[in-house]
Amino acid sequence: MNTSNMMPTWPAAPPPGTQPSTGYAASYPAPAYTAVQVRQSFGQSYSTPQPPYPVAHTYGPSHSSSPSAANIATNVNPSPPAAQEQAKTKIDWPDSVRRYVQRAFIPANLDSSVTRADMEAKLKETITQANEKNVMYSLDWDTMPLPQHMIREERARASLPLHSKSQAQSPAQAPGTKKRKSWDLTDAATLHPVSAAPPWRAGAGRLEDRVSFSPDRRQGDELPKNTSKFNRADKRQKRHEGEYTTYREDTPPPGDGPVVGTCQDLEKRYLRLTAAPKPSQVRPPHILRQTLELLKKRWKKDQNYSYICDQFKSMRQDLTVQRVRDDFTVEVYEIHARIALEKGDLGEYNQCQSQLKGLYRLGLKGKANEFKAYRILYYIHTANRTELNNALADLTAAEKKDRAIKHALDVRSALALGNYHRFFQLYNETPNMGAYLMDMFVGRERLAALCNICRGYKMDVPLRFVTEELYFESDVEAAQFILDHEGQELLEDRNGTIVFLTGKAGSRFEGARAKAFSRVDIKGQI
Amino acid sequence: MAFNTSFFNDLTDIFSKQDGYQLAQTLSPDIPTEELRKICRSQNAHSIKGALKRGLNALTVDFDQQEIHGWVEVYAAYWNATGVILAARESSNDSSKSSSLLWTKVYETWTELLNVVLRGYQNWGFEAWTIPCMYVVCKHLRIFAMQADEERNNNSSFDDAAAILQDDFDPETNKRQKLEDCARVLSRVFMVCQTDRAPLEESRKWGSYYIANLLLKTYFKLNSASLSKNILNSLRAGGRDMPDFSAFPKSQQVTFKYHEGVLAFLEENYVLAEQCLTEAWNLCHKDAMKNKELILGYLIPCHLIKSHTLPAEKLLEPFPELQRLFLPLCRCIKRGELHKFDLALQEGEDEFVKRRIYLTLERGRDIALRNLLRKVFVARGFEEAKEGEKPARRTRVPVAEFAAGISLGSQEKIDNDEVECLLANMIYKGHMKGYISRQHGIVVLSKSGAFPGTNV
Repeated sequence: MNTSNMMPTWPAAPPPGTQPSTGYAASYPAPAYTAVQVRQSFGQSYSTPQPPYPVAHTYGPSHSSSPSAANIATNVNPSPPAAQEQAKTKIDWPDSVRRYVQRAFIPANLDSSVTRADMEAKLKETITQANEKNVMYSLDWDTMPLPQHMIREERARASLPLHSKSQAQSPAQAPGTKKRKSWDLTDAATLHPVSAAPPWRAGAGRLEDRVSFSPDRRQGDELPKNTSKFNRADKRQKRHEGEYTTYREDTPPPGDGPVVGTCQDLEKRYLRLTAAPKPSQVRPPHILRQTLELLKKRWKKDQNYSYICDQFKSMRQDLTVQRVRDDFTVEVYEIHARIALEKGDLGEYNQCQSQLKGLYRLGLKGKANEFKAYRILYYIHTANRTELNNALADLTAAEKKDRAIKHALDVRSALALGNYHRFFQLYNETPNMGAYLMDMFVGRERLAALCNICRGYKMDVPLRFVTEELYFESDVEAAQFILDHEGQELLEDRNGTIVFLTGKAGSRFEGARAKAFSRVDIKGQI
Repeated sequence: MAFNTSFFNDLTDIFSKQDGYQLAQTLSPDIPTEELRKICRSQNAHSIKGALKRGLNALTVDFDQQEIHGWVEVYAAYWNATGVILAARESSNDSSKSSSLLWTKVYETWTELLNVVLRGYQNWGFEAWTIPCMYVVCKHLRIFAMQADEERNNNSSFDDAAAILQDDFDPETNKRQKLEDCARVLSRVFMVCQTDRAPLEESRKWGSYYIANLLLKTYFKLNSASLSKNILNSLRAGGRDMPDFSAFPKSQQVTFKYHEGVLAFLEENYVLAEQCLTEAWNLCHKDAMKNKELILGYLIPCHLIKSHTLPAEKLLEPFPELQRLFLPLCRCIKRGELHKFDLALQEGEDEFVKRRIYLTLERGRDIALRNLLRKVFVARGFEEAKEGEKPARRTRVPVAEFAAGISLGSQEKIDNDEVECLLANMIYKGHMKGYISRQHGIVVLSKSGAFPGTNV
């Protein structure tokens, strides 16, 4: 399909206040869209005249910094002639648009905070605008943000100061499945009339709608390199040694004192501060306590980690700006750390851990021993001897007798002495959530033990021995582990018992072992 | 000393002799309070620069105007600092007055002095022989930084509000604030020394190692091994343009090699560690007992890991502290007393951990275990000798016998699987030659050298 062919079909002049179409024509010549196949984010490819996503290099510089133009454009209702036009030419809609509409209504993509009416209105608006600007065929509909996301972003914009300089990132939702659903495009686009109120007003009474969504909330997630370069070099160094992980953001100069929050909302999206916090957007401790209860329930119910993580980050921020450092603060960090650990989000886990370290040092109550034990296990995982030594130095005699800490210390010593027998016994008895951490290095320790066994035993050992010593769930799992590391010829069936031919192994597992130990790559570790 | 005629006469003398260390003495804050007060009262803020200018101009030394201007600024800054130091010293004697952060003030004024000195080298053409001035100023900057930190930490009311906008607060930022700042300042000084392009004879590069040593000391205190690495790398990178390492004062060489060795030790690079520490040991002045003790503190664990050698008692004779630290462990290793080794390690754990040698010494257990297993093996004696042949040792040892040997000390039963695990480890690490036969529950040891390096 070629844009120039379609030109005469559509009205040429865009309504006043929207972008002149030449701008897009220049940056996006029609055939360009076909070349780009897979996109991870919308930052570059997005070319509809949707001002809520002012990506600077997409638009001309004068437009990108013009929020008033943006506001006008978002509020433009489809003009009557355009609507007629649309109705008339319905059958000509390209497949890409149909897919887009279908995608919007796939249940997985639905957003509970956006009503169906809002969505349909937004859809209609988007398609109409595309129609008016003759970009219906040139747009990459497959990567176009869904209406529910646009609405969310708009709400977020509305809750921000007008001249916010923040560079918006488009939401990066997972591209919807291409599986077709039975949604009829015409239904979706025309069933409900466009409501006159701005979309974010429609559901204002509901809790979820009061949550402020920030357009630049994803910067931290998607552009870690950008943020980390602001760090002072020595801070980075420090982090390197310890468990300061991920990018601690640069902060603006401090104000006069801690904020006293007045915000009464339970939920709040995380947004990195770029200016002194406003009391109206900060929740005081008694609200945060309710928030924590709510989040605990929601985590049990939904297990939605990205939501929970975001909410915990905003809670932590509210606590910090108000300089609340008490047992409740400890509780928040502890719960977040546990959830992050369960989900394998080592970046957040480490942030929480380094905070907890300081909080416990202030003498606040919490599960200090549990988390000290995690810390030791973590250093074993990262093979960070320096920090391990520091952690040991910090322990008191009483702490060393604590069950969890003693377990972690025993794990460490068993590994240091190559006592895999003891190590795997300990693996079986891990208290609390330490097993999540031990799972991270149990594989490499199995390889190490296997190397030992191969060198030490001749001619063979029963497979069952390997299963038991290395604490595999079953012989099958043990055999699979051996097979996974190219030990096919080392297993032999002898009168119904499978034996492991250690004598023949030579240094077969040495390579895998060395590789497993060479470098522990941890997300968030710079 | 005071800024009077005799002071300027001294200066004339120093400058004509080009005695850097003596010149540095005139900038030391480490003098009796009475002296300090004399200097402080000899001038006032209004007159100080004029007096200095007149005095320095009258010197019969070949100065250019810039240099004179530089030294006027330096001594004025020094005079300024004396007042603050005086106040801090007086108030620390009188605890009722210590309500404000006086040592922080001292640190700040002293930083100003350092900046002026630095400018002297960068802009005002201070000559290279005067570099000890930089030493003395840097050295005391570090001391003042630690004093300032201590004072602030003892005084909890000075809670810094800097962390307020962060999502999380950083518990470490405050505690060593000034020392961290000092490290930054010193690394700037280090760069000024390193990057001097003047010909070697008059280069500030000669100051590199002194400043590097100060920096390393500071980084060690800040617990930042990786920043220390940067210093080493930077010195290594500038290697070709640097004067030969052996041309630097021996004291600087020893300190530097010691730090380099300890850094390698912490990274488990025991080969390099041993090499550096041995060098430091050999260069160390024979009466510098404190330094020798420090070096041995890491060199002994190094030897234990690398060559499985223990220190002779004679070596440790002059060092009661090291004897207390290492002798019990060494005895256990030698005799193969595994359980006692564990107890000794536990006993000294706090101290070992503090010195960062615990994890290394722990590995000495392998040697203790090897010696124990060797004893079991030797105790089994020989096969019946065949006619005319040398008697051979009995090389087939039941696992149970090793198990008995291991639990002899602790009187705790250890299960055979664990013993096998330990044996497999010994074999894997090359401490023992042979193999385990699981079916028969025996260990078959090598006929020639079952325990390499032990004559058995």
